[in-house]
Amino acid sequence: MQHSLEQTLTFRLMLLLSLFTGLAILPHGMNLSLPINLYLIALFGWRLSSLYLPNLQPGRWLLLLATFGAIFLVYSHYQTLIGRDAGVALLVNMLLLKVIEVKKRRDIYVSVFISYFVVTTQFLFSQSIAMALYLLMVVICLTALLLEINRVKPSSHIHEPILKTLIIGIQALPIALILFVIFPRITQPLWNFTTGSSAITGFSDRVTPGAISQLIESSEVAFRVQFKQPPPPTEQRYWRGLVLWDTDGYSWYTDRSQPVGYDSVELTQISDPIVYQVFLEPHNKHWLYSLDLPIAAPANSRLSRDFQLIKKQPVTQPLLYNGRSATHYRTPQLPPILRRRALQLNDNVTQRQRDLVSQWQARSLNDQQIVNEALRYFNTQPFVYTLTPPRYINNAIDEFLFEGREGFCEHYATSFTQLMRIAAIPARLVLGYQGGEYNTLGDYFIVRQYDAHAWSEVWLEDRGWVRVDPTAAVAPERVNYPIRLNFGEEGSPALFNIDSSGFVGSIVQQFAYAFDSANVQWERWIIGYSREHQFNLMRSFGFNIFTTTQWGLITIGMIAVSLLFVGLHITWQGKQQQTRVKRTYDRFCRRLSRLGISRRPYEGPLDFARRASRRRPDLAEQIMRISDHYIQLRYAARSTDMAYPLFARQVRKFRPRRR
Amino acid sequence: MASLTLRRWLGNFRRYAKSDAKGGVRVMPRSIYILPTRQGLLLAVMLILMLVGSINYGSNLGYLMTFLLGGIWLNAILHTWRNLLGLTISPEGAASVFAGQTADFNLRVSNASTLDHFGISLKCKKQVGESVDIPANEEALLHLPIKTKRRGELALPEIILNTTYPLGLFYAWTYARLDLSCLVYPKPASRGEPPSLPVYSPSDAGDRGVGADDFIGLRNFRPGDSPRHIDWKAHARERGLLSKQFGGDRTEQVKLDWDLLTEQAPEQRLSQLCRFILQAEEREQSYSLRLPGQMISDGTGLIHRQNCLSLLAKFEVGDATLP
Repeated sequence: MQHSLEQTLTFRLMLLLSLFTGLAILPHGMNLSLPINLYLIALFGWRLSSLYLPNLQPGRWLLLLATFGAIFLVYSHYQTLIGRDAGVALLVNMLLLKVIEVKKRRDIYVSVFISYFVVTTQFLFSQSIAMALYLLMVVICLTALLLEINRVKPSSHIHEPILKTLIIGIQALPIALILFVIFPRITQPLWNFTTGSSAITGFSDRVTPGAISQLIESSEVAFRVQFKQPPPPTEQRYWRGLVLWDTDGYSWYTDRSQPVGYDSVELTQISDPIVYQVFLEPHNKHWLYSLDLPIAAPANSRLSRDFQLIKKQPVTQPLLYNGRSATHYRTPQLPPILRRRALQLNDNVTQRQRDLVSQWQARSLNDQQIVNEALRYFNTQPFVYTLTPPRYINNAIDEFLFEGREGFCEHYATSFTQLMRIAAIPARLVLGYQGGEYNTLGDYFIVRQYDAHAWSEVWLEDRGWVRVDPTAAVAPERVNYPIRLNFGEEGSPALFNIDSSGFVGSIVQQFAYAFDSANVQWERWIIGYSREHQFNLMRSFGFNIFTTTQWGLITIGMIAVSLLFVGLHITWQGKQQQTRVKRTYDRFCRRLSRLGISRRPYEGPLDFARRASRRRPDLAEQIMRISDHYIQLRYAARSTDMAYPLFARQVRKFRPRRR
Repeated sequence: MASLTLRRWLGNFRRYAKSDAKGGVRVMPRSIYILPTRQGLLLAVMLILMLVGSINYGSNLGYLMTFLLGGIWLNAILHTWRNLLGLTISPEGAASVFAGQTADFNLRVSNASTLDHFGISLKCKKQVGESVDIPANEEALLHLPIKTKRRGELALPEIILNTTYPLGLFYAWTYARLDLSCLVYPKPASRGEPPSLPVYSPSDAGDRGVGADDFIGLRNFRPGDSPRHIDWKAHARERGLLSKQFGGDRTEQVKLDWDLLTEQAPEQRLSQLCRFILQAEEREQSYSLRLPGQMISDGTGLIHRQNCLSLLAKFEVGDATLP
């Protein structure tokens, strides 16, 4: 019978192809809309059932119809066929249709290659370690299929080709890493499709009551910070984000038509600067977070007059930057235009607010005392700190101050700022995070969305801008020990309510920290790997003098070296046992030569054995057995089950004595 | 035309698998040629597309996946090359055939290493042989069918041992020249009766007629033959009506003689003689063969048949002009 590589495809191969492509498509289910998902499920079901019932195998016309159906569905949903979301939807449909019509080996290649593409597009949606590992597994399985169709008899078990694929993949890893590190990163996209909106949690540049309490329900990581020196205490870890100057009586914002500007501000530092590194998760916004108060701007960003760090492009990739801050400081003079802006009030100011403020003013000699009066007011009146405040409908600040008195940091901060302005003390609202959880394993702080916070800054003549956190007056524990929520994100599995005092709790905590550390490294070195990293790395090797051509040559050289190693390794591989067998046989010959029976160069193993047996009949049986074994191992046409170890054992036991 | 000249010129530099002492050849590291297959080129194009996508979306994991697959692509060159390396091909023989039939060259491909080799195929010109997997320390017998056209010694043309394992992205091949040939007998002509002469060869015992001795063979039935001498078994096998002959001096001996087939062209004569030999064998008749300058005397049996057919196969037509 003629065995050929072009024989028809087996059921097993078809089933595996269908399953593996299914696994490649599966995670896209999260990114695609329901109708498209249903269509894909139908196509996949069709594929599987036509495997078992060949009558269901569609003809050319039906397939063409299904193809048009897919195109129509995608177009009607996205109004386009290009761009990330529509492109992926179309690609995934085409893959399944291709898998349905597979007939020849050639079709398997095409299906596997499209699957590779589909797998890669998944990284535009999710970049987690878990997803990467899953997709790597799928790619290995798909590649194993290629091995399967290039051999004649199917492997006895699927692990066989998968193992071989793993070996090939591991050997390819150095090349992948070389290219990954060296391949120049371009900061601007080649062309811009409107990317699908995927909600990223984080602040918006406008605060309305309730905005932060929504944020606080998320335990997603906002950023991580590593200090170069002992970290400041919790009550000083205010992470400044953006500063809001203006209000319309309902929400707070900064009017874009009146930018504060980037004029250099001279700050009087009272304490030594604190140096740290921030690893920011992408939040699609221009601002960066820094320890209150930043004194220098990292690369590609600027420090504004009101001490915000503003980046030129929005942060869409994980970003690593160095921060420099002073926790004790004195800010310079306030220009009149900004003073006016920091005193601006809206028509939501009521008489009882004015009355309250004039009471404080009556008791105070200076602005500082008014601030204290205000804080005392929040502290002594029955204010409640709650995540679920009542809804304040008409005049939120007024109703909160005098009726509801239940609120969250944004209520306290906005109302405090307004009261200060009524008292003619320049004040502004600051948004950011407070606190952060220390990861003992990685020696860094994790700041999560639930650490989001709002506070105020007031202008005092002799001190400049001073941070005032009215929430601390109501719920000091909020500042010292940030709330830890017992519920997880919406739709996510419940989080452990970590009580780090118990033994199990501390182990769980350790695991959580280890996982977060791994995540940090992943995001820092893989996902966040950027042009800056590249330059730094090259500079650290002293390589920045090379031109592009030289870089190209170096890359090719490194890949060549890697290939050379792999080539030498696999060439050397198969010979190993033969030399091992020969080595053992040589030891046997050496032992005989000690008896005075040396193998002559022209003598074959059998002739030598016969001669040696004649010389030493007492050893004949052993000599013949070992020689037979050697001939079997070395020259036998059919491989025998008589493995090398048995042969080696016999030679080891062969210790003839002189007569 | 130019490409043919180029190809011929390039042929001067062609490397072959190295001959070993036992008449086989061994695939050496530098005798292997390798080129991407259509699938290999397709994947390369896909990888470029993936790279463009990764650049556009600034997806580092996209880069990583693209480069990993790119590394695998490059690595496949080495593994495909390795899959051929170290194999030995040795000639195992080829049964003689009649011209027009397909000669079956048997080649033994052995894998003396501890590495499994998969998807090894043999090819000869356009003729595609079968594919085999050869696990470590095993060997496989591969049949290479080659269509024959004319009689004579058919040497195994240059063969190509090739593989696309493991990934089918690259095609590695090696040229091998093996000392193996197949004897092609002339194509048997259509059935017919040989122009034969009953021969009287006197023996020491005198003329003993026909039927006195042991069974010596069969001949066509002639009216008058004893029904007891008819080979009924042969008749049952639909070989026609044949009479058994028993020894004696005047038994019918088939004398196949080149000179008796005067009206035919030389090749035609050889074909005709070939057919007569087959017929005589079929009837278990004893026959002799005489070609100009060469003679094989009476005999029957496989060896005799083979000798006679070989003589026909190797006969140089030019010899016919010799006196």
